[in-house]
Amino acid sequence: MILTGVLLAVFGLGLVGWFAARGRARLMYKGRGSMHSMPAYHGWHMALWILVPALIAWGVWSLIMPGLVEGAVFADPVAKTLPTDPFQLGSILAEAHNLASDPSAVAFNPEAEALVEPIRAAQFRFGLIGGLIILIVAFAGGAYGFTRLRPDFRARTQVERAVLALLLAASLMAILTTFGIVGSLVFEAGMFFKDVSPIAFLTGTHWSPASTSGANISDNFGAVPLFWGTIYIGAIIAMIVAIPLGLMSAIYLTQYAAPAARKWLKPMLEILAGIPTVVYGYFAALTVAPLIRDFAASIGMENPSTESALAAGLVMGVMIIPFVSSMADDALAAVPRAMSDGSLALGSTRSETIKRVLLPAALPGIVAGVMLAISRAIGETMIVVMAAGAAARLSANPFDTMTTVTYQIVQMLTGDQEFNSPKTLSAFALGLVLFVVTLILNIVALRVVKRFREAYE
Amino acid sequence: MSNPDWNSPEARRRLAKRHAAERRFKAVGLAAIVLSLAFLALLLFIMLKNGVAGLDWSFLSGSDSTDASVAGVWGATKGSLLTMLVTLLLSFPMGVLAAIYLEEFAPRKRWIEWVEVSINNLAAVPSIIFGLLGLAVFINTLGMPRSSPLVGGLTLALMTMPVIVISGRNAIKAVPPSIREAAYGIGASKVQTTFHHVLPLALPGILTGTIIGMARALGETAPLLMIGMRAFVATPPDGLSSPSSVLPMQIFLWSDEIDKAFVQNTSAAIIVLLVFLLAMNGIAIYLRNKFEVRW
Repeated sequence: MILTGVLLAVFGLGLVGWFAARGRARLMYKGRGSMHSMPAYHGWHMALWILVPALIAWGVWSLIMPGLVEGAVFADPVAKTLPTDPFQLGSILAEAHNLASDPSAVAFNPEAEALVEPIRAAQFRFGLIGGLIILIVAFAGGAYGFTRLRPDFRARTQVERAVLALLLAASLMAILTTFGIVGSLVFEAGMFFKDVSPIAFLTGTHWSPASTSGANISDNFGAVPLFWGTIYIGAIIAMIVAIPLGLMSAIYLTQYAAPAARKWLKPMLEILAGIPTVVYGYFAALTVAPLIRDFAASIGMENPSTESALAAGLVMGVMIIPFVSSMADDALAAVPRAMSDGSLALGSTRSETIKRVLLPAALPGIVAGVMLAISRAIGETMIVVMAAGAAARLSANPFDTMTTVTYQIVQMLTGDQEFNSPKTLSAFALGLVLFVVTLILNIVALRVVKRFREAYE
Repeated sequence: MSNPDWNSPEARRRLAKRHAAERRFKAVGLAAIVLSLAFLALLLFIMLKNGVAGLDWSFLSGSDSTDASVAGVWGATKGSLLTMLVTLLLSFPMGVLAAIYLEEFAPRKRWIEWVEVSINNLAAVPSIIFGLLGLAVFINTLGMPRSSPLVGGLTLALMTMPVIVISGRNAIKAVPPSIREAAYGIGASKVQTTFHHVLPLALPGILTGTIIGMARALGETAPLLMIGMRAFVATPPDGLSSPSSVLPMQIFLWSDEIDKAFVQNTSAAIIVLLVFLLAMNGIAIYLRNKFEVRW
């Protein structure tokens, strides 16, 4: 509580420092060329000297204060009566902290209630000490900044250096996120591979993580049926739908449609890309899946299930259409006009030009677009969760229920949460495989697109 | 053909065949678009048919419930708004600053290339991976509260930032060099030029990209599933760290209910979500048309 107040005070000080320094700099102004920087830069320089050191001090103190409070509470005579079992101790401490911060809460545990007073006292004491330190740092920084306020001081250069540091920090965030993803996936997957051999995981064909039977735990974590389901739904069925429809839409829009029609049709097609995947999933489960089940029954399948690979793949394909279409659009637009003009001048019709000249010339770009589309489809989660089913099986029958990598990740991480069991950790191993595969697809596709553009420039 | 006779019946037949092929090809192209749009129309029609009857005031102001007739979407909508607030406050400044740095200040060095590659890849990483990151880092390592708008917003912010960076870079790139040179010419520093002249001109483009990124984040379900936002929450969240649901998650939860009465609720919630998304995309298109400058 005290620290929050101190934080506000520091910001207030910064504001006061900004106005004070700017005002003083204005007084120093004695006509053109008498000062290096404009008064507002002196204000910013001052505010930065107050805020940055004080905020660093605040951050450091917020990190070390809980430890100090803990130490003070254990030194209190009341703590002598606490149980030594770490689990019980933890729950009592947590309850006492909760009671100390929320006066309206009711105590369940008398021991926790006894701890409230020492905790409050320690929090007050250390909050006061920390607040004082932070304020002293703020004033010291402010004083130093104030002494540098002279007409020839290059405040703008200093402030701009700080701005550049901020910009750099923001762009490093992207690298940090990538490292965060790789680090957390590799770390948790590493814990998983302590129990299950990676070879059994990548080549085994039996997936039943819930069962504890079997002599070797590795035998239950064969992920090949998952990989197959993912490829079958995302890279085969969805692409059979998305590639022809997306490609033909792009051809029609770029080569045939009148500009007015194109202006309306293209945004409408893009609405398909903007619909949330959970809506597609619901549509697949509610409307498409029953239709496919009835169709399967009508062609003589026995007991077709409501959830099927075909339902999920079809809907996923429709979702990908605008993506394929816009990638093909870019690829077709990159082909130099002279090529199609030459073909038309020789007397070929438009469709002959498209089939014999444009498409072959744009092929690398289109293939790269399809690779990006596949990487999207195999990472897609909600549609398969809602429409594809849970049974891990190796089957080429599109009416069968099939499961995918993303479905199993969701399955492993929702429901009962015993962390660190191989079952939960397997989600991270699957996530790692998914990340690596999509990464390779993306990098290769982006390279191809770049090469392809350069070839025609 | 050394002596072409264009009027011979055989040549005419060939020509007619080629023209027929041309018409067929064009019809196939049109059919592809019509089929895609028909699917869209069917989806919207079914959602409207099932859901419109459920859209009334008690639905819009209620929260989740086990009884379909009292359940409403306000709790989930409020959760979505809080989550989007966190996402916007984090990803917009970070994304814009990173875009400015990469486009205007970054030295042409090897590690900058790494930043660019990682941003382009992050934009294409499956969203569920971001959920795994959020689970491992924010919840298990940093101990933040599960299923709270805070963690959801943080996770979605990491996902949205690359989208904002990419659109921001394109918008900044589109500002012509003459603007910068004019500013340098009257003595502005590089930072002044960027923040006083380039950024305001690029802002409409950046905002368009931001709104599209936010619309994507608003419809996202999978990463939030990972960080435990599928809890049954019967009251609207009253803060950034209290358990909450979001609109797409509410749709997912209701779609799992066995009770048939929830079909109407699910479809009605989908209509609410789609109205939000259409409004956001409409604003983005309006901004683009109104402020887009052709240099």
